[in-house]
Amino acid sequence: MKRLLAIVVCKILRVVGKIVGKGSSLPGKFALKICPDVLSRVKLPEYIIAVTGSNGKTSTVEMIAHVLTQNGKRVAWNKEGSNQIEGVTTMVLCNATLSGRVKSDILLIESDERFAKYTFKYISPTHYVMTNLYRDQLTRNGHPEWVYDALSESINDNMQLILNADDPLISHFGYGRNNVVYFGADKLSTDIKENKSVYNDGAYCPHCKKPLVYSTRHYNHIGHYECKSCGYKRQDTAHAVTDVDLENGRMTIDGKYNITLALRSLYNIYNLLAAFTVGSAVGIDGEKIASDLSDYVMKNGRVVNFNVGKRPGTLLVAKHENSISYDLSMSVACADKRGCDVLIIVDAVSRKYFTSDVSWLWDIDFEMLGCENVHEIVLAGTYCNDLAVRFSYTDIPQEKIRVFSGIEDAYNYLNSDRDEYIYTVTCFSDKGKFLSLV
Amino acid sequence: MKILHLYYDIMNLYGDYANVRAMERMMLKNGIECSVDRLSFNDKAVLSDYDFIYIGSGTERNRNVVCEDMKKYRDELKDCIDSGKVILMTGNSFEMLGKSITGAGGDAAEGLGIFEFTVSEQKKTRNTADAVFTADFLDRELVGFINKCSEIEGIDKPLFGVKMGLGNKNDGREEGLRSGNLFGTHLTGPVLIKNPHFLTYMAKLVSGADTELSEEHLKYEKAGYEITLKELSALNG
Ligand SMILES: [Zn+2]
Repeated sequence: MKRLLAIVVCKILRVVGKIVGKGSSLPGKFALKICPDVLSRVKLPEYIIAVTGSNGKTSTVEMIAHVLTQNGKRVAWNKEGSNQIEGVTTMVLCNATLSGRVKSDILLIESDERFAKYTFKYISPTHYVMTNLYRDQLTRNGHPEWVYDALSESINDNMQLILNADDPLISHFGYGRNNVVYFGADKLSTDIKENKSVYNDGAYCPHCKKPLVYSTRHYNHIGHYECKSCGYKRQDTAHAVTDVDLENGRMTIDGKYNITLALRSLYNIYNLLAAFTVGSAVGIDGEKIASDLSDYVMKNGRVVNFNVGKRPGTLLVAKHENSISYDLSMSVACADKRGCDVLIIVDAVSRKYFTSDVSWLWDIDFEMLGCENVHEIVLAGTYCNDLAVRFSYTDIPQEKIRVFSGIEDAYNYLNSDRDEYIYTVTCFSDKGKFLSLV
Repeated sequence: MKILHLYYDIMNLYGDYANVRAMERMMLKNGIECSVDRLSFNDKAVLSDYDFIYIGSGTERNRNVVCEDMKKYRDELKDCIDSGKVILMTGNSFEMLGKSITGAGGDAAEGLGIFEFTVSEQKKTRNTADAVFTADFLDRELVGFINKCSEIEGIDKPLFGVKMGLGNKNDGREEGLRSGNLFGTHLTGPVLIKNPHFLTYMAKLVSGADTELSEEHLKYEKAGYEITLKELSALNG
């Protein structure tokens, strides 16, 4: 009875919420009040696929949903990225019949790392994809090992773990376990020998804390590692990126499945590979997955094209408080041989909570913008001074840098007759402030 | 001038390395020759050779590993503290100086035992907060961020007063540890960048200069400080 009431209330609130433009976590919140264990009282489909990790989970989930629906599967998923238990509850109950049966073949859940342990107490994923653990929102998350410990409580023995083999910390969830599928990238032409970032989270073994040795690095601490002390090392992969050509926008999986890239970043290839691995796990043919993923353009607004006056540009959404997302977004600008100007905006650190902490600026590899493809750098927003200080510690000549506290002033400055393409790198919390001007 | 950045590769969780760069630049801009040694586990530093020693913050596990390794420096470090060497330890690094650190699982690890305080950690909630602190040796407040899972009992001489944020005990009004020229605080990250007046104060101690140091190069640092202080003060009512 409580279950029925929870389902009905959830569905009604969702309809009302959509009309008045409210988010998707409120209906679930009420449903949980009515029936706290409602998630364990619904009849779930055969496949429950969960995705978590610091970066790329929203994109990965969107790609998985795309592949599955293209192959005739009915998929229920938390499209709006409300990834704590309330949002997941909304999604599940809205997709359930009044008798409590979820009406899809597959339940696909994006889950927040810290809250997964609460959600998965009621719903145990059959397949659990873990993308990576980076320095992400540390003002709330503490640090990657803190998140690791929280995540470890969301795992049980029956789940099929699907892990990024190239991330030594996330991969450690597979330590001593049998039912694990690993995905990763082989040695790539874009690999680096040494970590060039300003910090190194791969310096020490997550298992025994002795030094880790890398035979190749894709970026930061992502690569092929081994601990000479305890033997912990990168595992062999079930599916691997065997070749990538960012310049021409191509990647190859398992030596034979070719995917053309709508977004040419290393970031993106891991999301694609994770989606490929999930598609394979539910029995879809590799050739078919590759063709479904080819040229797939994300709908989640993380890449937006714009014009400043007559100058074209692209906004690449990074996440404040997440240095690797900045590194990867900026590397797109650095790779543009046409030559470009880069605008960086830090105005509100988060849209969900207040903090003035800008320590994370010191983890970002801004040094890379000293490359010859980047001509001018414009820094804007409330924290433009902190950005300017950070840049003063790079080798980039000061005359390449302009500083504006007002985003509109930065816009006006960029609205010139310069030929350079513009890349704007900023966070969800600040992107609207720029896009409203263009 | 010789600077030692100890455990630079593992106690660098929140951009802490920037403190060392700020101190180095402050010296160079004032015409004082300066070199930095960045050392870690397999090195054996001679602590007394340096004018300024810095250690930043790490994960709890990493800090524990470092604490074990630090024991080789225990007596030397105590001598340095007693003789007034300028030492800055930010984040959870200064917790190593106490008697013990009790982890979330209840297991107590021995600290360096230079001070009498004890540390206890939990793993339920991360205690994070923007912070505004006062110091009796500075004429303006400090701004920063606290990111920890511990509380400390038994510090007689704290470093800062808590105007906003968390103290040694979460709800306490006292923060950090001061002993001579040893400065320990749970503020994380680039504390000396966020607080240019604190940098100047520390640099003067390190250099032993009897004239004022030039702050001309700290224009953006000062502007950033004013904005953060204003934002946090507004928040604090
Ligand atoms: Zn090891």
